[in-house]
Amino acid sequence: MKKLAVPLFATLAAILIAASVYQVFFVAPLQISYNEAGKLNGSSLFFSQKIFYFHVAHAFWLFVAVGVAGLSSIAYLRTRNPKWDDIASASVDVAVVFGAAVLVTGSVWAKVSWDVWWEWEPRLTMSLLLWLILVGYVMIRRFAGPSADRIAAGMAIFGMVGVPFIYKMVGQDSHPAAGSNGVVATLESGMRAAFWLGVAGFLCWYIALVITRVQSTRGEREVRELRERGLDLGVLQ
Amino acid sequence: MTKNLVVLFVLSIASAGFAGDVRAQTGSAAAAPAATEAPAPAAAPTPAPAGDARKACTDAMNADPQFAAAITKVADAQAAKQRDDDLLAAHTAADARIKNNEKHVVYAYAALWIIAAAFVIFLWRRQEVLKGEISSLRRDLEAAADDSKAAKGRA
Repeated sequence: MKKLAVPLFATLAAILIAASVYQVFFVAPLQISYNEAGKLNGSSLFFSQKIFYFHVAHAFWLFVAVGVAGLSSIAYLRTRNPKWDDIASASVDVAVVFGAAVLVTGSVWAKVSWDVWWEWEPRLTMSLLLWLILVGYVMIRRFAGPSADRIAAGMAIFGMVGVPFIYKMVGQDSHPAAGSNGVVATLESGMRAAFWLGVAGFLCWYIALVITRVQSTRGEREVRELRERGLDLGVLQ
Repeated sequence: MTKNLVVLFVLSIASAGFAGDVRAQTGSAAAAPAATEAPAPAAAPTPAPAGDARKACTDAMNADPQFAAAITKVADAQAAKQRDDDLLAAHTAADARIKNNEKHVVYAYAALWIIAAAFVIFLWRRQEVLKGEISSLRRDLEAAADDSKAAKGRA
């Protein structure tokens, strides 16, 4: 069953994401809105809105991945069970990838909507900082030596604490709003299938990647243990 | 040909009336001090007000349906040209905007798949390296264990 988990989730992700792409480009209507004068709103709408579907889906699972990493790190610091550390580390790795996707797609969308690649507004800046914290976590895991797991666990908890602030800041600036009156909650009916299929697809993708990364981390641990045994036996130098 | 001349005539009357009207409005302030300095030339014709020209035109159109049709045709042609120009400008602007949008959507989706593919390749290569390393270490350890067993047996 464990061996089947990754192919199963990866296949599910491929099917759901393909269905979402089809819905996004062939079914979902173009987003059109009018200003008070009854004229079409500026260039932020129409076709570029198609970026929204995957940008927001990635942001969803970025926040979830950071949450999983934070909670696993708390569990690891309490129990010292390496299983939790593996999950935290894998989740952060995937969060770095999802965060990069959110930042890049957001930047491209900002260029077409606001005519700038980047804007130093609170939410965007906080998102970048969160991503840098995640990159810092990966660096610590790689270079900080024997106590890296505990330092990195602290950073993951720190990153998790930042997520609600970023979520709260959405809509406080020029970025479209989140929450009950936000963009997702008020999506047109023709757009919902495209969006939620994408969200479900990226959930499966996230799970498949985390399981693969956990397997990889366990493999790294096995290599370390085998090396130690080899050194003890005098086979390795 | 004759109709065109009539149309031109009516339009010239209308424009003369309009010009006179404008002159009457804009010239009133400037002409007041000038009137105190020198009297206006007696031979200057009094321009017809725009309202009169419009009325003359309307009467002529009512009197002659063919003339009315010709006037309407000219006006319609001008309006249609204006509509076409506006439509073309709107379509050109929308086309440019959609092309720009499309380009950026392609950028965003391409970036997304490149990032995902890079991570998958990284994971796959890492797994392969680890698999190779684990099997090689196991082989070495098993060989070492066999050697030590053999050495013990010999002893």
